[in-house]
Amino acid sequence: MKLFERIFFVPPCNIFTIKPLINKKQLVSNDFYTLKILPYAGIIIKICRAYTDSQEDFEDYYQEVCLQIWRSRVQFRGDSKWSTWIYRLSLNICLTSIKKKRKNKQHINSSEKMIAATIDNHAFSDESLNLLYDAIKKLSEIDRAVILLYLEEKSQKEIAEIIGTSPNNIGVRINRIKERLKKLLDGKIN
Amino acid sequence: MEKSIKHIWKYGFEAENNLIAPKINDLYNRKSKHIVDKFMRMFKFNMWFLIIFSSLFLIYSYFNDFLLGGILIFVLFNSLVLVNRNLFKTLRHLNTNVPSIEYIIAFNEWLNKQVTMNKKLAHYYYPLLFISFMVGFYYSVGGQELVNEILGTSHQIYFINGIPVFWAIGMALITGLLAVFGGALYKLDLYLMYGHIFKKLDSLIQDIEELKSE
Repeated sequence: MKLFERIFFVPPCNIFTIKPLINKKQLVSNDFYTLKILPYAGIIIKICRAYTDSQEDFEDYYQEVCLQIWRSRVQFRGDSKWSTWIYRLSLNICLTSIKKKRKNKQHINSSEKMIAATIDNHAFSDESLNLLYDAIKKLSEIDRAVILLYLEEKSQKEIAEIIGTSPNNIGVRINRIKERLKKLLDGKIN
Repeated sequence: MEKSIKHIWKYGFEAENNLIAPKINDLYNRKSKHIVDKFMRMFKFNMWFLIIFSSLFLIYSYFNDFLLGGILIFVLFNSLVLVNRNLFKTLRHLNTNVPSIEYIIAFNEWLNKQVTMNKKLAHYYYPLLFISFMVGFYYSVGGQELVNEILGTSHQIYFINGIPVFWAIGMALITGLLAVFGGALYKLDLYLMYGHIFKKLDSLIQDIEELKSE
């Protein structure tokens, strides 16, 4: 009966991908994705966007983070909120992920490069948000992590816990990043 | 500006209806692109390659009168597998659920440990591999035939305890060179494959150190 219930609990987004013979592991995985990852997809999207330059890379990173959350789920002991845990894990995965190398890079001519860049830099409909993301991507990887958490209104204490340093250090760093962003965005945003 | 950055972020995403997760296909069966997983795959592949290759080579050497060389290479490769198996176990225990700094430092420490260990071993296994091949060849039927053929013709070869001197000098020289440059050879090979990862980790660690000192 449980198995029957599980079969009908498979989320619609996976209907096209599941095979006719569904194994138990796959069913449990689908439940986990729908219940424990999908509600926090926004957080993961924001983080993955900051560490990638193309839609293809972004989708790879998103998939990677989801996969690692599934693999590491047993390590979650409830010491922090599930969302904080997801932040921490997503950042750790993005910081140490391998950037996908574009194949046949040399065959892309300059006009195609320009089109690709335009597409990559317009991930969101809000132009100011695209410009802000472009500026964030120019920061170092650690700085990106700090500013993402700051913009998500995490306290300095919480940011320090996620990154692994003291709140004072985070405070100093945030000020410096804001200055840098100010310079990068100067004149671009009204 | 602070207000405007926060404003752009908050209201940009509020107005954004496109914060939709990308379509995920076969999530839990796809190959991971993460560095740790990539290293684990590389480790597994290398270990299985060494085991299978040394076993096949042992069988080949048995049927082709090269048994001594086959045994030496089998022992050498499988010792290497045993050492690296222990390193592999520690990688499995790397916890992603820790602060970023701890995670990156732990991964970097593991990587350095692995490189240092294999670099040390490279000073031994490159020369030992060469010696195994040469000794195996020398005592094989084919090797002995070649030696007899050379000795059968007019020659001026000096022997010490039945071993040709120049052959021994050549062996010693190549073995010595491999012993000296074994570590460098290993590092060169490693940096060609994973140089970009080392660079990325170095810059991350440097940034972390700066953040800690602020």
